[in-house]
Amino acid sequence: MEINILLVDDESDFVETMVKRFGIRKMPIDSAKSGQEALAALAAKDYDVIILDVRMPGMDGLEVLKLIRERAPLTEVIMLTGHASLEAGMQGMNLGAYDYVLKPADFDDLLDKVRKAFERKQLNVKARKQGA
Amino acid sequence: MSRPASREPESGSERQGISQGSDQGMLARATGARLWKDHGLLLWAHFLVPPGLAALVVAATFATPVLAGILAGAVLAIAAVSARGLLSRLSQAEEARLALTNQLIQSQKLAAIGELSAGIAHEINNPIAIIAQEAEWAAHLVGEAEKTGTADFAEVKDSLREVRAQVDRCKNITHKLLDFARKREPVLQEVDVVRIIEDMARLVDKEASYKNVTLVRDLPQDLPTLRTDAPLLRQVVLNLMTNALHAVDTGGRIQASARADGEMLEIRIADNGCGIQPENIDKVFNPFFTTKPPGQGTGLGLSMCHTLVTGMQGEISVESKPGQGATFIVRLPLRHSPLHAAGKNT
Ligand SMILES: Nc1ncnc2c1ncn2[C@@H]1O[C@H](COP(=O)(O)OP(=O)(O)OP(=O)(O)O)[C@@H](O)[C@H]1O
Ligand SMILES: [Mg+2]
Repeated sequence: MEINILLVDDESDFVETMVKRFGIRKMPIDSAKSGQEALAALAAKDYDVIILDVRMPGMDGLEVLKLIRERAPLTEVIMLTGHASLEAGMQGMNLGAYDYVLKPADFDDLLDKVRKAFERKQLNVKARKQGA
Repeated sequence: MSRPASREPESGSERQGISQGSDQGMLARATGARLWKDHGLLLWAHFLVPPGLAALVVAATFATPVLAGILAGAVLAIAAVSARGLLSRLSQAEEARLALTNQLIQSQKLAAIGELSAGIAHEINNPIAIIAQEAEWAAHLVGEAEKTGTADFAEVKDSLREVRAQVDRCKNITHKLLDFARKREPVLQEVDVVRIIEDMARLVDKEASYKNVTLVRDLPQDLPTLRTDAPLLRQVVLNLMTNALHAVDTGGRIQASARADGEMLEIRIADNGCGIQPENIDKVFNPFFTTKPPGQGTGLGLSMCHTLVTGMQGEISVESKPGQGATFIVRLPLRHSPLHAAGKNT
């Protein structure tokens, strides 16, 4: 099953590598360079999992997270944090992030978390359908 | 012989267990209500042996074993009747105590609601006062402008900006509360608890190292997986670790451990920090209870943990000796009894 993934990060090297690595596994992913771009992309497409760098110039990552949770409550968010910031991590988890990954991200670890996040989304969708 | 009626505390430390439905049991245990049942035999011995011995001594002075037997039997029978009466009175007293305990829980709940309301009122009153002041001042400035025909709108704008900022502050508080009240149905996934604890610990490590605090992991590699809500569990673990980090001094130590205990999986976050004062131990799970200075803690962390853990069909409790640190214990069922799905009972 195909997972719709959006990677949000201003570091283009990192984005390129990730796009390539997901690509090798036949998992095409979209990318955005900023919070604004991410929200625009989210408005156009229904993403399953968003991998979000919480430290980007411009729009604050936690603010973006809040808006994603509001606009697409079923979309799961995995935070990327550069230098393990406890405060940001805790706020992110409290805002409903699914998990976080420390940069430099271990790809297999990230992939595993993406799969788990996707599984949760599907469970949520299923629960909604049953509830409706 | 020790006096069985005097109760022995379970341990020297304060202990407060919270879980839905077991408050009564917890309190009963705390008040020692269970003890007389466990020690029933001891109680009987306590009542019967002394009169029996006395009777035997009396009989022995008469030196006839038959008489001694009859005497001892008679005295024992009388003692037994009175002991029974005493024991039944004891159990009645325990029942009364339990009833009282229930009342106590009720009034504690009401007190908690009172405290909660006071907390909200307090948090929101300050911005409201500022809003009122600024609005009045803006009205005054506009009135002046009307009279004189010359207006200083810069100041009016300032006032309005302040009003706006304070409204945002209120909004922030209500958002937090709403977030808090929103019932998040747990989504159950197969979860590797060791991994979750390790992940959260890594998030804390860096900050801990600044404080020269060590975060020790005591995590068995053969822990069974748990069916639970992963992000909610992460939130709980992270909140407990953060609290522990705030509680310890430079050079302190935090230990995160997990183990399977029968039907439950137990996670402990222990620290050797300041600990919790006995008068506060009942309050730490209350919303808005905080000992941190204003602006540094909202006092919602632990009450949120409590809500989340009970939502996951688990329980959370704390043990603490002031000055010797605190241990928060989260217990989650290894086998989740299905809440909604019918006919899948394990
Ligand atoms: N590990 C601990 N050791 C000692 N005291 C603790 C510990 N954990 C919590 N407490 C006490 O319980 C209070 C409430 O904790 P809680 O997490 O609910 O709120 P907070 O940490 O004060 O603020 P917030 O988590 O909202 O930022 C704390 O202020 C502190 O007094
Ligand atoms: Mg806290």
